[in-house]
Amino acid sequence: MNHKFNFAVVFSHLWILILSGLFFLPSGVWAKDQVKEIRIADGKGDWGYPNPYKHYPRGPGYLRMSMVFDTLVWKDDKGEMPALAKSWRYDPDSLSFIFELQEGVLWHDGKPFSAKDVVFTIDYFKRHPYQWVPLNKVAGAKALGPRTVSIHLKEPYAPFMAYIGGTMPILPRHIWEKVDDPKRYQAPDAFIGCGPFKFVDFDKTKGTYLYEANADYYLGKPAVKRLIYIKAKNPLMTLLSKKADLVNIKPDMADHLKKKGMVVLESPRGWNKKLMINHKKPPFDDKRFRKALAYAINRQEIIDKAHRGFGTPASFGLLSPDHPFFNPQTPGYPHDPEKARNILTSLGYEKNREGFYVKNGKPLKVEVVVSNISIAGESMSDRDGEVLKNQFENVGISVDLVNLEQATADARVRKWEFDLAVTGHGGLMGDAMILERMISPKLAGSVNSARYGANRELLELLDEQMTEMDVQKRKAIVYKIQTLYADELPAISLYYPVSMTAYNPEKGITWYYTEGGIALGIPIAQNKMSLIQSGAGVK
Amino acid sequence: MQGTVKKGRGMGNELGLPVTFFLAALVMTWLSYSLPRFLPGDFITATYGASQVTLTAEQEAALRAGLGQEGGFGLYLWRLVRFDWGFSYVFQTPVSALFFSALPWTLLLMGSAHMISMAIGFVAGVEAAWRRNSPFEKGMVGGMTALEGIPEICTGVILLFVFALQLQWFPAAGAETAYGEKDFLAHVVDVGHHLALPLCTLVLAYFPGNFLLTRNSMIMVIMADYINTARAKGLPPFRIRYVHAARNALLPVVTRFGMRLAFMITGALVVEKINAYPGVGTLLYNAIAARDLPVIQAVVLMSSLIILMIFFALEWAYRIIDPRIRHAR
Repeated sequence: MNHKFNFAVVFSHLWILILSGLFFLPSGVWAKDQVKEIRIADGKGDWGYPNPYKHYPRGPGYLRMSMVFDTLVWKDDKGEMPALAKSWRYDPDSLSFIFELQEGVLWHDGKPFSAKDVVFTIDYFKRHPYQWVPLNKVAGAKALGPRTVSIHLKEPYAPFMAYIGGTMPILPRHIWEKVDDPKRYQAPDAFIGCGPFKFVDFDKTKGTYLYEANADYYLGKPAVKRLIYIKAKNPLMTLLSKKADLVNIKPDMADHLKKKGMVVLESPRGWNKKLMINHKKPPFDDKRFRKALAYAINRQEIIDKAHRGFGTPASFGLLSPDHPFFNPQTPGYPHDPEKARNILTSLGYEKNREGFYVKNGKPLKVEVVVSNISIAGESMSDRDGEVLKNQFENVGISVDLVNLEQATADARVRKWEFDLAVTGHGGLMGDAMILERMISPKLAGSVNSARYGANRELLELLDEQMTEMDVQKRKAIVYKIQTLYADELPAISLYYPVSMTAYNPEKGITWYYTEGGIALGIPIAQNKMSLIQSGAGVK
Repeated sequence: MQGTVKKGRGMGNELGLPVTFFLAALVMTWLSYSLPRFLPGDFITATYGASQVTLTAEQEAALRAGLGQEGGFGLYLWRLVRFDWGFSYVFQTPVSALFFSALPWTLLLMGSAHMISMAIGFVAGVEAAWRRNSPFEKGMVGGMTALEGIPEICTGVILLFVFALQLQWFPAAGAETAYGEKDFLAHVVDVGHHLALPLCTLVLAYFPGNFLLTRNSMIMVIMADYINTARAKGLPPFRIRYVHAARNALLPVVTRFGMRLAFMITGALVVEKINAYPGVGTLLYNAIAARDLPVIQAVVLMSSLIILMIFFALEWAYRIIDPRIRHAR
């Protein structure tokens, strides 16, 4: 009896000891341990295979690739950081960027990484272009030693660090030198990189991805063993039922999720809804008419009525107010229907009995094309078109609202078969090269670019800012570009919608929106550096 | 098709049917080849429209050149004969691999939905007709007529809201827990768990139609003289219902089953979409959004060929179920 009693006491004490050990361990110990898995969900699921030639050319596709392939330089929550290059400098005399590479970096197949891989990557991307990395200004690359590379430019190129240093994934030479058709190359070694995660599987039908931690990662051991991407249509349900640890959410879900203990992040203003104007045809080719349109629009009303107040009116100069090169003196067009009407009257328009403008007997009727637009990979439908129609008609411009599926709407904008179209794009927080991409007529096929060539000074400044390597001088040029662009108004930036991400903090991972966006400006809070154990740092 | 059947049992009929179907298949193939080309917009615009990347004219030309796929209908047909369906623009992988990885999920979802709704619809229909004018029959007919009017998108969303969001009994999306590391039995349970909501949505959508159709045709049948004869012979009611009456009421139900099955691939599109279920419907939806021409063509072609094959099979099924068709002159 006595013996039995003692045994029970010892056993219960032991059990209490184990339990207290589990509950009272400091949380820091948990954070340092490797979490079994992290699941990230989005509404689309499939973003292509995660290598440079196969991923879908949008942010989520690049991010899935970036888990496997590393770049020379990267950005974390504190800004630019060393990745495959531990240091770098620009030599203006030789027009070269010189990179000192990390030591002891291994590819996922165990082969060592060296300067030859970087030289090969530049050469290979020149032969088989990777659209994310424009190499037309790069003359070539040379290995100055096993861990030193020099990339030589044809002319000064200001966006180099953003578009090449911080975006170009480095390919393993020993694999790709044998590949002639990289787009169709599907062997398992097509996914060998030296990033923090090894690619294991992509299910195209289900839109799911599986990665395993690369324990030898040179910037520190990943904090999770497995990284999984899943497709989920309802982010709220997916997060609350713990099917995923991180999802993109609509702003009105934020309060509910916060109450349930989730962390909600709000994206900086890097994405704008934009009114494209067909400035190639009358009456839109007259900038006075375009200004009348700008005065007719009440952007705050669009935000309030179509987005429950989640958003802020955009700058007319294209760059985000959160951008370091933003010009606070950019001209603005506050909502002023009377001013809009005065301009139209000065252009020879007269009101008919119904209150709509006519000129030479012809009614002023514009067609506004709208469609569902995807923001950060999630398709969004809204009522922007209806609100705009009311505002234009309030001024006296008759509107024909046409609602199209996105690809159809894009095709019409591309071919200039439209009057006005509501579109949207990001990149407003990244390198100022976005100005050239979204204004210059050189990019003839773009859907979101204004493709505006009527102002010679603007075109010259766009070229000039691309070659100005001095940051302050470049900033001054970018200031002027914003002023000119806002005066010409080849397109009207409407507002920055609020974009949010929510995550479950239980796994001990802290996510964040990267300043200026990931790589060339991806506004998604899924930086791979969140998954690297803190304190490991650069070797 | 009916016309060919009614010609009689001669060689002309036996040959005429396959020839008609072959010609129809050829027309279907041509349509599936040419119709998707009329879609406004193209792959490059759809892909790069909302992209971070802005293409220069040279980059775009190079991308277009890389797509290939030209060569006309003749070449397309020749490739089809060799089971070469081309490469998906989006994934750069063979279209057939994409199609056959999506097909099992659609078959699982739609196949089970049709089998279950037909089986319970048929039995419930027979029993209701047998108990005509009883409260059970009246209640069932009223309830099913109302249920028939509710579209599956509505039932689907309600089921998701109640059982996935509120009660959290079932998962809201997908066909299985991705990379769940489960053993075989646990995996089967997991697939069933994910299947439950979309399956219930479809069964609720198909069951009322099957019920009403069976009940109506069964009512016609049980009024026939030979049923009275069977009763007079003192046969057990169960035998009269299912062996004598129900067999003759089966024909319209089989037709409906076939017609529904024929639209299996595209029919589940709505349910697959709201439940994020990875079937052929989802594949087609994504392919259209991305203007992935080879995938659209293949899915449209396969769906139309499956419709044809099912009609062809139905012709033979009728002959087995109803000897009057086989002996018709």
